[in-house]
Order: sequence, then C-alpha cells, then structure tokens
Amino acid sequence: MERYEIDSLVGAAHGAADGVVDEVDLIPVRTYSQLVRQRFLQHRLAVVALAVMIVLIALAVIVPLATGDQYQKTSLTQTMLPPSLEHPLGTNQIGQDEFLRLMKALQTSLFIGFMAVLIIAAIGVPLGSIAGFYGGKLDNGIMRIVDVVLSLPIFFLIVMIVSFFGKGDAWVVIIAIGLTGWTLACRLIRAEFLKLRESDFVQAGRALGAGDRRIITRHILPASLAPVVVAATLGIADSVVTEAALSFLGFGISPPQASLGNMLKNFEEDLQVAPILLVYPSVTIVLIVLAASFLGDGLRDALDPRQRIEA
Amino acid sequence: MATYVLRRLIQAIPILIGISLVSFAIIHLAPGDPTDRFRSGRVSPETIQNLIRLYGLDKPLPEQFVSWFTAFWQFWKPEAWGYSFVDGRPVTEKIAEKTVTTLLLMGTALFVTIIVAVPLGILAAVKQYSWADKIITSLATIGYALPSFVLGILLLYIFSIKLNLFPSFGMQSLGQENNPADIAWHMVLPVASLAIQQIAGWSRYMRASMLEVLQQDYVRTARAKGLSGSRVLFKHALRNALIPVITLLGLTIPSLLAGAAITEVIFSWPGLGYMTVQSVQTNDYPTVLAIVMIGGVMVIMGNLLADILYGLADPRIVY
Repeated sequence: MERYEIDSLVGAAHGAADGVVDEVDLIPVRTYSQLVRQRFLQHRLAVVALAVMIVLIALAVIVPLATGDQYQKTSLTQTMLPPSLEHPLGTNQIGQDEFLRLMKALQTSLFIGFMAVLIIAAIGVPLGSIAGFYGGKLDNGIMRIVDVVLSLPIFFLIVMIVSFFGKGDAWVVIIAIGLTGWTLACRLIRAEFLKLRESDFVQAGRALGAGDRRIITRHILPASLAPVVVAATLGIADSVVTEAALSFLGFGISPPQASLGNMLKNFEEDLQVAPILLVYPSVTIVLIVLAASFLGDGLRDALDPRQRIEA
Repeated sequence: MATYVLRRLIQAIPILIGISLVSFAIIHLAPGDPTDRFRSGRVSPETIQNLIRLYGLDKPLPEQFVSWFTAFWQFWKPEAWGYSFVDGRPVTEKIAEKTVTTLLLMGTALFVTIIVAVPLGILAAVKQYSWADKIITSLATIGYALPSFVLGILLLYIFSIKLNLFPSFGMQSLGQENNPADIAWHMVLPVASLAIQQIAGWSRYMRASMLEVLQQDYVRTARAKGLSGSRVLFKHALRNALIPVITLLGLTIPSLLAGAAITEVIFSWPGLGYMTVQSVQTNDYPTVLAIVMIGGVMVIMGNLLADILYGLADPRIVY
C-alpha cells in the first residue's frame, strides 16, 4: 500500500477550494533508505561495481575455504602448465596452482583492506567527533596530531613498522596502515560535526535533556557518516594497493603465503619466462580499485540527502 | 612574505620533532636490538661493543634521542648522522647522493604531470561531455586504478623487453657517466610510470575545478562584454581554476615519495626509495632514521611551497 503526502499547503488549499482533489501534487513518501537504494540503482556503473565486488568477496571466501592449503602445494612435475580443467589458470615455476594462489591472495588482500579500514574508522571517527563537537583546545590538539601525521613520509614509515615489527604478519600490515591512515576520516567527521553541532535537531535533542554522549552518538554521528562511508569504500582500495606495494617490495606477506603483491614480486624472472603470471594478480588489483572507486561514486550520489530525483 | 615563510619554518620544527620521535619510537619499540644482525660468529664482541659506544646505544633512550636530534641539524658535518651499518660510509653522504637522484626523478615526474594534466583538464572541462572529455575522463579513471607497480611492470615489459626502446635498469650506461642525454634516456620509463598515475588524478581535479569556475558570474560577465573565448578562458577562468589545484602540490609529495620507492625498485633507479628498501632489509638504522627525516622535510617543504604559490596565485590571501 502506498502512502502519499501533500507536497505543499498551497496546493492542498487550492485543491480543497476547487473541490478537485486530483490536482493536488501528491508524491509518494519514501524513507531515506528507500531513497538511497533507488538513487544507487540508477547509477549503472556503481551497480556493476557492487556486483563485481560481491563476486570477488564470494570467491575469496569460498575457494580457499573449500581447498585449504592446496595453494601452497608444489609439484616439480607440473610446472608452468597452461590453463586446463584441472588448473584453470595453469601452474607457476614451482608447480603451484595459479588459480588457488590467486584466490588465496584475493582473500588475504581483501581481508587486509577491510580490516585496515575498520581500524582507520575506529581511530578517525571518535577523534574527529570529539574534535568537531568540543572544539577549542581539544580540537586544536587533535588537529596538530593530524598535521604531524600528514607530514610524515607515510609509506616509508609503514615499511619501517612492518619490517621491524614482524615481516609477513597480516595484522602488522593492517595496524601499520590503520595507524597512519586515519587522518582523512578524522577530518571528514570533524567537518560534519562542526556543521551539525549548532543545527536545530541537536538543539532539540539538548532541550529534551540529552547529554553530550547521547548527542554525539545518537544525533550527530548518524547524520555525518555519509562522507566517511564513501571515503571508507575508497580506503579499502587504497589499503589493498598499499598491502600489494609492501608485499611487492618484500615487506608485507611473504611466500608461501599468498597476497596479490607478493605474486608480482618475482617480476624480473616472470617477465622473461612467463609474463602471464603477472597478468592475473595485476588485473585483480585493478578490478578491486575500479570497483571500489565506482562504488564510492555511486554511494556519494546516493547518500547525499540533498540530491532529489524525479519520481 | 619573508616573515610568513620564516614563521612557517619555525612551525615546522615541532612537526620534525614529532616525526623523529615517531621513527625513533618504532626503531626502539621493535623487538630485537639494532646491533642484532652483527651477533654472528664472524664479528667479535669487541667490535659490537665499539659499535654500541659509537652510537651511544648504551645510554638511556631520551639521551640518545636528544643527541640524535641535535646532530640532525649539523648536517654539514659528515659524521653528524652517523655511519651506515652496512658499508660504513657517512650517512649524510649517502643521503645527499640519493636525494639528488630521487629529486631528479620526482621533479621531472611532477613537471611532466603539470604540463600534461593541466591542459587535459582544461580541454575536458571546456568541451564537457564531448568525445574528448569522455576519452580523457575514462583514461584518467583507468590511470588512477593502475597502481605504480603494475604500471611500472607493464611499461618495463612493453617498452624495454618487447620493443627494446628504453633501458630496463639503472641511471646511466657503462662508459657514459654523467652524460645528460643518457640519463634522460634512462629516465623515460621511471618518470612515465610515476607521472601517469599523477596525471590521472590531477587532470580529474583540474577538470572539476575548471568546470566550477566556468559557471561563475564573472566568467559570464567577461563573455557578455565581448571578450574573446580564449581571453576569458586564460585570463579570467584559468587563474582562478588553478588555485585549488595548487594545494594538490603539497598533497602530492607523500604519494610521489611512495611511488618513487616502488618505481626505483622496478627500474633499479639509485635513489632514496631503493636505498630505503635496502636499508630496512639490512637493519641499517642510522640510514633508515635519516631517510624518514629527509622524507618528512620533503613533505613539509612541499606543503610550504604549495602555500607560497597559493598566495602568489590568489591575491586575496594575505599572509
């Protein structure tokens, strides 16, 4: 059953006076989430990107779960095989199945990407909220820390953290990316808080007797998450690329573990012998980055409550 | 202006202290001792003791930090930043040498980025929704999605291995030392792989900025009073559209540094990035500390330069 609301009082009065109800502008009432869904679905590339992302995640979860440690299995009699039914993407120089390795690598990389973004949000969102809400000295202090972090040669620092605290450990990579990457989320949330803290609904919340904590977590935060959600989507791609770069240089995940970056590590040899082995991980990385960036675009348009679409 | 620059430089000091504290903390919080890699049968305990005394590793941490940080400012002295654990050369000398080659790579890449991305962005904005715009925007999206290592390997494969047009590694050929043409020839692929991704980002930004300016009232006014299209574009619109793009300059330095590390490894370019990878792998911690500080100085300088240019481009900014 569809509900309708009267678009404008003038229209209603006009309609009532004439006794012609049909002329009243009626638009269906839609909740915010319905609006978001509708606007997102209109963004064709974003829908395709979402589908690609879901397929990638599904593959990354299911294939390694079903095949276990087989991706590490070497076989000296089955090296450099071309694609076949048994080995969909062939095998590498030491006879490992490329498809299984790629799927395990995809799992590792996506896991690091998602976890790193969670850490980024866990640091950036509270700090940004506090800075934006309270302002003053607290805000100043937090923003100075942001300045210092932004002036760091971040990649060198991540390389340093990862290699001194445990090469090859996925969690060290995740924490290194998280600790250095939270500034954007912090600044976005802070800007939203600065904008919203004087708004009417916050005043109304206060008038009802809500404390700071309730206002921050229940009133302002939900209204200011949209830009962070978009940034987080792009952040997943950034983290995947950072992990790949680290493993590529030999600091992240190292063999026999598989990651999209370490599959590119032997590029000098592979370029001479089997360039195709470099194509699979490269294409996968590009696919993740493209999907995340289109998804981000779609979400940006869909989540913006000021954007109206014609019904 | 001079006082502004001075003030900014003074403001940079606490940031540098922050950077050195962070890198110092990482090195000392990490499990294991900086001298661990020397503890093998081949190195005598006396040598290790000498090493520990030389670097003051037996002193309390705050004291080590203060002595290192004060030494950092005496960069003109060869011994100020200590000696490399690996080859025993003064760290200042190593850093100076590699900073030059990295800056050559990064500077050229940045220059190429600007002269390519700015016109492309303008073209895409002026001819919005045209074929040119669609092609530029799509290429920018693809370029943006190609990480530097994928792009570098791709360029290496096509132009060096398959077509044999450019060298695959190093900075100069044997017997051609310091020949600018030879160095330039070696630079083509690393610069291209660094610049392409930056061009993708910058042209998208330039396009957005130009589109916004072209909608402004003063552009319509300029057109209305009969000025030629190019005059409106270059005299009125471009200068304003460039202002937000200038801030990108400061933000680009960290990503250029990261890109340089990867590009230098792929093309064996003897720069800071390549040295970082080697020094971290060998726990050469005097070198690592110095590299991180130099990286921080570069980022701070990039931001300062961006702010100064910002003021030059926009007369409304008062220092």
